[in-house]
Amino acid sequence: MKRILPITNAVIAVVSGLIVLFGYFFPGLLSGIQSVLISWAIIIAAFALLVGVFNLVMVHWKKTGTEGSNSIYSIVLLISLFITIIVAGLSGPTGSWTLWIFNNFQVPIEVSLLAVLAIVLLYAGARLLSRKPKWYTILFLITVLLVLVGSAPLFLAGESAPLSALRIWLSQVPAIAGARGLLLGVALGTVATGIRILIGIDRPYGG
Amino acid sequence: MAPVISTVQDYLAFLFVLLCLGLFLFFLYFGRNLPKVNLRNIEAFRRFKREVDLAVEAGKRLHISLGRGSINELPGGAAFVGLTILDRCARAASNSDQPPMATTGDGVLTILSQDTLQSTYHSLGTEQHYDPTNVRLTGLTPLSYAAGALPTIRDEDISANFLAGHFGAEIALLAEAGARSQSLTVAGTDAIPAQAVLYATADETLLGEELYAAGAYLGAGPAHLACLRMQDIVRWFLVALIIFGAILKLLGILS
Repeated sequence: MKRILPITNAVIAVVSGLIVLFGYFFPGLLSGIQSVLISWAIIIAAFALLVGVFNLVMVHWKKTGTEGSNSIYSIVLLISLFITIIVAGLSGPTGSWTLWIFNNFQVPIEVSLLAVLAIVLLYAGARLLSRKPKWYTILFLITVLLVLVGSAPLFLAGESAPLSALRIWLSQVPAIAGARGLLLGVALGTVATGIRILIGIDRPYGG
Repeated sequence: MAPVISTVQDYLAFLFVLLCLGLFLFFLYFGRNLPKVNLRNIEAFRRFKREVDLAVEAGKRLHISLGRGSINELPGGAAFVGLTILDRCARAASNSDQPPMATTGDGVLTILSQDTLQSTYHSLGTEQHYDPTNVRLTGLTPLSYAAGALPTIRDEDISANFLAGHFGAEIALLAEAGARSQSLTVAGTDAIPAQAVLYATADETLLGEELYAAGAYLGAGPAHLACLRMQDIVRWFLVALIIFGAILKLLGILS
């Protein structure tokens, strides 16, 4: 049984993957079974989310038993999680109480984190030269500054037409060319990873 | 006309996948008879491998963050690379008392990470190292995921972080937490804006296809080397095709 199960897993994964892939190339032939398999995958993903939330509870339940000041955060998380589940269960995902929790807790916290993110990026940019003293770091920083200055009106001078034109050129010519080169590499890497999984060489499912 | 073009595009895409598959199988089965692959030096992998060895000696942990790319969508490719890295890290740290930790932002990735760790420990005969809570779903939105992963980097005695998967700008928070806890942060992602952010924040950044070469650099087997050879050939083929198209357009033959 210990040997049969991994092989069965691999066969199911490979056959399902090939059907879904061929469904994209030959829509008339396999689109029916392809959409069935994708809808199953969506249901399984939803169930996996529940397993993930259970994992979150387990991790923080374990942390509440440990000594130290950080366990209070795990207690707060668990209480918040259960209150949210109860409220969302009773009032529905778009109910007024659920939206109240969303608008008064989640949105302000995430907006605050976005503000922290802006400061982190500014700080990282400022110390970049000391961390990576290379010529392309200088080029990176000059480009960032030019795009920033070209995006906002200058103090007392208003918007500068040449800087604005330079920003547009930088973002539409060299940046797009570089991004396309990177995307080409990402696309090829994704195809290679997909091929390894589709023919069962990489088995991230315990096969 | 449009349906005909669409059908032709479908067949071309199918041929492209067949070309990739054919080259991959050729290099996989006949690669031994070909000259050995010389992998160019990528500083990120060199430093990470060194840090893995040091972590095992010092009894510290490795942290692999797999991002929040769902495997039902395109970003899943980068997440699968993250799973390969997790497997290699678990193998490298199998002698250590501190097994690696993984954080994810997707339910399916959480299960796959647990499964990867369990399979790895099972194949090594060290099942006692497996603890399902070493894989953590830290959040489902980008910022909640990052916020949830920060305590892992800060509190779990982490020596090196490998961020491999689909991320957005929130990856800066993880890289900054790594810098503050004085642990090495190596990161690669499929998202272009996040790569720019990583250049400014991470110790070592994997750009473009470098992330997908992780398996080959971390010794995941001949299939990963065969994939690199296949990618190199197809890349030159595509570059030639793009230049040919540009010349045709310059001459006014293509509209």
